[in-house]
Amino acid sequence: MTLILSVGAVGLLLIGIAGIVLSAHVLRIIFSIALLESGANLLLLLSSFQAGAVAPIRLKDGFPAVMADPVPQALVLTAIVIGVGVLALALALAMRILAAHGTLDAREIRQAMDEAIAARAGVPPEGGGQAPRSGPDRIPAGEVGGHD
Amino acid sequence: MTDPLLMITLPLLGAFLLPVIERASSPLARWSGPVIVAAGALIGIGAWAGMEGPLVIQLGGFPAPLGITFQADRFSLLFAISINLGTLLLWPVEVGDEPRRAVLALLLAAAGGGLALSGDLFNIFVFYELLSVVSYGLLASQPGTDGGGAVFAATLRYLIVSAVGAVLVLMGIALVYQATGTLNLAQLAELAPTRLNGGQGLSAFVLMLIGFGVKAELFPVNAWVPEVYATASTRVSALLAGVVSKLALLVIVKLLLLVFPLPEAHRLLLLLGMLGMLSGELAAWRARDYKRLLAFSSIGQLGVILIAFSIPGEVGVFAGLAVALHHLLLKPAMFLLARRWGGSLDSLVGAGRRSPWAAGLFILLALSMIGVPPLPGFWAKLVVLVALMAREQPLYNLAGAAILFGAVLEAGYLFRIVNRFYDGEGVASAAQRPTELWRAGLLTGLLLLTLFFIGPLTGRLRAIAREAADVSAYIERINPLPLSPIVAKPSAVSRETSRRVRSWLARGGIAQ
Repeated sequence: MTLILSVGAVGLLLIGIAGIVLSAHVLRIIFSIALLESGANLLLLLSSFQAGAVAPIRLKDGFPAVMADPVPQALVLTAIVIGVGVLALALALAMRILAAHGTLDAREIRQAMDEAIAARAGVPPEGGGQAPRSGPDRIPAGEVGGHD
Repeated sequence: MTDPLLMITLPLLGAFLLPVIERASSPLARWSGPVIVAAGALIGIGAWAGMEGPLVIQLGGFPAPLGITFQADRFSLLFAISINLGTLLLWPVEVGDEPRRAVLALLLAAAGGGLALSGDLFNIFVFYELLSVVSYGLLASQPGTDGGGAVFAATLRYLIVSAVGAVLVLMGIALVYQATGTLNLAQLAELAPTRLNGGQGLSAFVLMLIGFGVKAELFPVNAWVPEVYATASTRVSALLAGVVSKLALLVIVKLLLLVFPLPEAHRLLLLLGMLGMLSGELAAWRARDYKRLLAFSSIGQLGVILIAFSIPGEVGVFAGLAVALHHLLLKPAMFLLARRWGGSLDSLVGAGRRSPWAAGLFILLALSMIGVPPLPGFWAKLVVLVALMAREQPLYNLAGAAILFGAVLEAGYLFRIVNRFYDGEGVASAAQRPTELWRAGLLTGLLLLTLFFIGPLTGRLRAIAREAADVSAYIERINPLPLSPIVAKPSAVSRETSRRVRSWLARGGIAQ
């Protein structure tokens, strides 16, 4: 049981990391973060998991033999709430980005951001190394720009 | 009235009441934000003045691992006071955008105070996340941004890195809890030599170092720094670079001192600090606009601070504290000047003639940053170098050489700016904001003021470092109860026990 859960936790973490690294779409990256968080939460629960343990509540015939540790459960509850807040904020930012740039393609957004920063600073955008992305776009993108 | 816990609760309460106050009277709301933060700073200073030894606060009177522990030694209190003073001086609210940003500023002070004073690993995580969310809010909600697209993109990229960092911290917490069954820092310090000295402890440290390192601009997770500081308003940049990064650093140092006093952990921190410093200074050398130059040089200087804190024992805390406090005063002042000189370095030609005061301040700050003798920066760097060279291990001596090399790079790029100041007439600059000049001047004045007190200040910092590095005294004053046998290791549960529980459940269990 513990083994299956551990494999599940590590699997969720790996899927999340792969999603963040490999996706080019902002929404997919945000959902990957959600997966990553669930993996970490599961890992936290597993840190003192005992198969068959029950809540440490006193009953008529005394305490149960094996009691579940309530601390990690309380921690995970907190972590889930924080995660939801961050997720909502990330989605709100994504909507603002869509309104400003007209696209949710991470690479195009980054390029537009670099150009905007360079334009505001009054220097030509970085030429070497980072910019040339001439590969085929996997996700059809809207028009770049929208900023001034 | 000098309970340091008020530094957390007062701004929290204020943050939630502010929208209500705003509805009643908007001038009152405009003033209550800064007043609350100032009160927080005063409470902290009062607690500092009236304190004989470190204070321990067990919420609700529950003893240590059961209740929530807060611990205020001078090391923590110093950073709690500085977040309040920093928020007050760099109040990131301008006329017209109350009360939303004022609420965020109050939450920033509360979260910072909590992060500094908390004595529990999970509470530290919660306050850290609160701090993160507040900084996203401050970055994304700034007024008067052109189109806003770049700000939102930079904030989202920062959020993604930070969220991954938070997950790493959670994984580290899970590993620590699995090995020890507690998250109270004092109890962890007690159990660390036996339970966290192996591979599991080290991996937990690496996870938490990288996770908390996102805010401390640690080497592999600092790609957000130039983007965010280039798009954010100058005051928010000054706050993040100057004060918030120090709080993340404080958490890392506490973990290193109390929970992971492993030689490998120190060496890893040293290595990452060195890489961060060299990459930051080299990137600053290449930068072509003022804000990004400052962002990269901030990465470089935080690298120096990490190197200093990686020296084991009291000496390391002392050296780290010296450079951290120097950077705490210096960097916000430099960012505030960016409001005048936000553009490319070429636009600064002749700026020294147009605004002689600002240029004078910049030159003073630059000299202190490089470490030119009479200025405070020299003393801070000297302390670090002496401590590094006194170590036997060649890696530490190498780090000392790297710091000197970094100083040469700093001199290179800063003098290039100074050169432009007095080089020709240039075009008249567009925006002149004198308010930021007095803030920068105040910080510079504070920095110069320390010069007259170098002697007593050194003694004071040494005492703070001694107090912070004394782990056994830390354990003793919090005095955690021994762990109850309920928290047994999961592997200790036999099949027999689970069968008994199952039969107990079959008999009716909870339903009885």
